[in-house]
Amino acid sequence: MRLKKNPVKNLHKLLILYFFLWIILFEFILPVNNILPKPSVVLLSFSALWNDYKLPVNFLSTVGAIYISLALAYIIVWSIKIYLIKSNHFISDFLLSLHWFSNFIPWIILGIFLIYWLPSSEYIKYIFVFLISFFFIIVHLKQELRNVKKEYIESAISLGADEKTISKKIIWKSIQPQLFNHLITLHFQLWSLAIIFEFISGGYGLGNIYRRALEYKDISAIFTITIITGITIFLGSQLIKYLKNKFYHWSFV
Amino acid sequence: MPEYLLEVNNISKSFHGLAGAKQLILEEINFKIKSISKDGNIISILSPTNSSKTELLKIISAVEKPSGGEIILLGKKFEKPTGEIVLIPEKPSSFPWMNVKQNIEFALGLNNKDQVKQEKINEIISLVGLSGYEEHFPNDKSLGFRFRISFARALVVNPKIILIDEPLKNIHGETKKEIITLICSLTKQLNLTILISTANVNEAISISNKIILMNSHPGKTIGEFEIDKTQNLQEHTDYFISVKHSIEKSFK
Repeated sequence: MRLKKNPVKNLHKLLILYFFLWIILFEFILPVNNILPKPSVVLLSFSALWNDYKLPVNFLSTVGAIYISLALAYIIVWSIKIYLIKSNHFISDFLLSLHWFSNFIPWIILGIFLIYWLPSSEYIKYIFVFLISFFFIIVHLKQELRNVKKEYIESAISLGADEKTISKKIIWKSIQPQLFNHLITLHFQLWSLAIIFEFISGGYGLGNIYRRALEYKDISAIFTITIITGITIFLGSQLIKYLKNKFYHWSFV
Repeated sequence: MPEYLLEVNNISKSFHGLAGAKQLILEEINFKIKSISKDGNIISILSPTNSSKTELLKIISAVEKPSGGEIILLGKKFEKPTGEIVLIPEKPSSFPWMNVKQNIEFALGLNNKDQVKQEKINEIISLVGLSGYEEHFPNDKSLGFRFRISFARALVVNPKIILIDEPLKNIHGETKKEIITLICSLTKQLNLTILISTANVNEAISISNKIILMNSHPGKTIGEFEIDKTQNLQEHTDYFISVKHSIEKSFK
């Protein structure tokens, strides 16, 4: 079966279908089970999450760590773009080799080291997410540099453009749509890593709510926080897509 | 004013292939283009496909350095791209993140010609037939449209020579006719000197004042033909056929 070009409409329909299935199955057919909570219990668990699990503080802590760190990493890369574009092969090779190593050493290990080095710092999560964002944005930038169309560069050179202008106005601009596509994927990875980090460190964040809910065997809290996390990740990815379409709307033909 | 606008003297280019062996792609490229005071001048570099015409145009525009030889522009050695010789690559080179106007402004901005900016841009846009499309982006437009942007961007800096790499290669039908008319009419109107690379004999005869023949593997100039523009240059006319035969004979 071939997938339709735009599956979003179908996804919405599927989500509604799953939602109704869950209500019918777990509210009326299997109200007592160890798999998923009853919808009515999930509704009640919101107040518990708000008060007992301190949802607002923990939610803002995770969201802040991910989006502030990601934005900061992008801004720093943007501010040093000319240096990064011009940087020599050694730096590129070094970063790409680290990227290759990261296939075998999960990034959360860096988080464990950071927790070990600075166990009591609340900012360590920001540093962790920032380091990963910064590293991956640079790696993706370096990878995308290989795909810049040489006809853009050659025509700019022949018009008399200097290296700085070419880096800033041609190469950087040219790679933005693909870099933003990478940002969307990176943002998904950051969510997983941030939650695992919070789960391990025990500091503020949604990961800490998961940890405590697991300790109390509070399936409704786990379920509710998962829905909140899912919606937030979806909205986050839509925001990045919106920014991409607004500022970097072109495609290459 | 020097007699020659451009002198290409003994240009060669080689690079190291995959096996490490030196590979010569251009050798003994020699030709001269006269300074012409009116009606402009279109010169074609005619050679078979894959004979490093693109490489030669990059060297003439100083985008790439030759392995040997020199380029002389108006009596002076031309080694650094300054906008005096502008290259329009074969593939569309209009920047998709800039609209028509911004693409042209980019070229003007590089050459510190801000004072005359607006008037000049509007004039050029009108000349290349893009009036009304100033705010349009090139990414979803035809090859012909994107060529017009690249051409306008080249014209706006008042270059001494415009190099166009196979401008008609992937363009067909009406658009091809429009592009030929555009190049020929603006060459005459603005007294331009345009150097075109092509592998198509018919196109070269139809649009050029002069044809420079180049062999392949390595690319090497083998002759020149002046085209008498007073003759009927329609295909199948006696003059056209005789020039074509002479050119084909030179390649054998």
